[in-house]
Amino acid sequence: MMFLTRSEYDRGVNTFSPEGRLFQVEYAIEAIKLGSTAIGICTNEGVVLAVEKRITSPLMEPTTIEKIVEVDKHIGCAVSGLMADSRTMIDRARVECQNHWFVYNENMSVESCAQAVSNLAIQFGDSDDDGAAMSRPFGVAILFAGIDEKGPQLYHMDPSGTFVQFDAKAIGSGSEGAQQSLQEVYHKSMTLQEACTAALNILKQVMEEKLNSSNVELMTMTPENKFRMLNKEEVEEVITKLS
Amino acid sequence: MSTIMSDSRPYFEDYSQKPMQRQFSPYADNGGSIIAISGNDFVVIGADTRLSAGYSIYTRDQNKLFKLTDTTVLGCSGCWCDTLSLTRVLNARMQMYEQEHNKTMSTPACAQMLSTMLYYKRFFPYYISNILVGLDSEGKGCVYSYDPIGHTERSSYRAGGSAGALLQPLLDNQVGLKNMQNIQKEPLTIERAVGILKDTFISAAERDIYTGDSIKINIITKDGIKEDSFELRKD
Repeated sequence: MMFLTRSEYDRGVNTFSPEGRLFQVEYAIEAIKLGSTAIGICTNEGVVLAVEKRITSPLMEPTTIEKIVEVDKHIGCAVSGLMADSRTMIDRARVECQNHWFVYNENMSVESCAQAVSNLAIQFGDSDDDGAAMSRPFGVAILFAGIDEKGPQLYHMDPSGTFVQFDAKAIGSGSEGAQQSLQEVYHKSMTLQEACTAALNILKQVMEEKLNSSNVELMTMTPENKFRMLNKEEVEEVITKLS
Repeated sequence: MSTIMSDSRPYFEDYSQKPMQRQFSPYADNGGSIIAISGNDFVVIGADTRLSAGYSIYTRDQNKLFKLTDTTVLGCSGCWCDTLSLTRVLNARMQMYEQEHNKTMSTPACAQMLSTMLYYKRFFPYYISNILVGLDSEGKGCVYSYDPIGHTERSSYRAGGSAGALLQPLLDNQVGLKNMQNIQKEPLTIERAVGILKDTFISAAERDIYTGDSIKINIITKDGIKEDSFELRKD
């Protein structure tokens, strides 16, 4: 036989390998390690999301790269991986939040929102009425930052649909180094300001380009202001405080 | 039956008569009244226990109050079969919410869900007069009333069901203190609310033949739901 060790088991998304692995899902998790770095930090005052934007050409308009998005007033997401896939997932998150508000007249909790998107993420194997299944898992990792009755919350979800709550989490190409740094700087009594500078500091360390106000996005999620993207001037102010 | 007529055309009985209209009547009105009165940290709801159809009484002992959570109770009157169906679906939805979101539904969330559930049957409605009561997120008593297709309003007291229109003005006067002069408004106590509720039902039983026998009362506070009952005239 001329098959390689992984043989044919990495083809179908519905086929376990003899060792009990789903290769397509594992490859999708690998795929997000090619994506731009995103960092989330949860404090008692609120949650911070920071992402790098890869400006691949000086002719590119940096503001059109949108890696932090509003799902509802009280939930924001940072994404890394295949941006086109992320649109579908963010769309689902938004629909679910609005539907929850419509039916129950209350804000959806961050965990429930992550659960709803997870339900979409694992549908890659299902076929619908016309027999067509999704061809592959989504190549996206998402950080959910939100405020609900339990206070500020940060959740991470990977392409397998697994979601876990975190105090601080990094995704994307620089995630390994960034996660290590987060573990060193994070403490329970961190202020939102400290979290903002810590997030940008770590981004600065792991980014290939030199960090500036147009190649990063910064968002704060607080009980007072809910979802708030920091504008260029505010990002510059944080940058001046970096070590 | 076909017979040969003189003009030799066949004769069919079915076609010889005028058109006859047949009707589908899927609804019954089984009567019953609901009253709810809320205070700062409590809410009381009462429903009579008579289940009737026209001049006959099916039972004198039918509870029309449904406990949804430890702080939410729904009172239903109207078409009893619709009530049975609605409350079963409602209980299923409550359980699904609890499992999906890992928490018990709040009274305002129940209220909104009931409204959407009723509206989803906009063109074949549940023929029920619903009153939902409970404590809100601040622990205040709240009363939500509905029409059969989901219009809802939050108020502090409400009468509904067969004697609803008869009783509401009484509550307006006694609880809302409408059309009263030189009176002092003081916070409602549980004792006064239950007293007014019983008096109001006594009045209803005097004039409404669909309301009577007895009433079941639920008193909801942060400590839970207390049940009480009270006899009405049975004629």
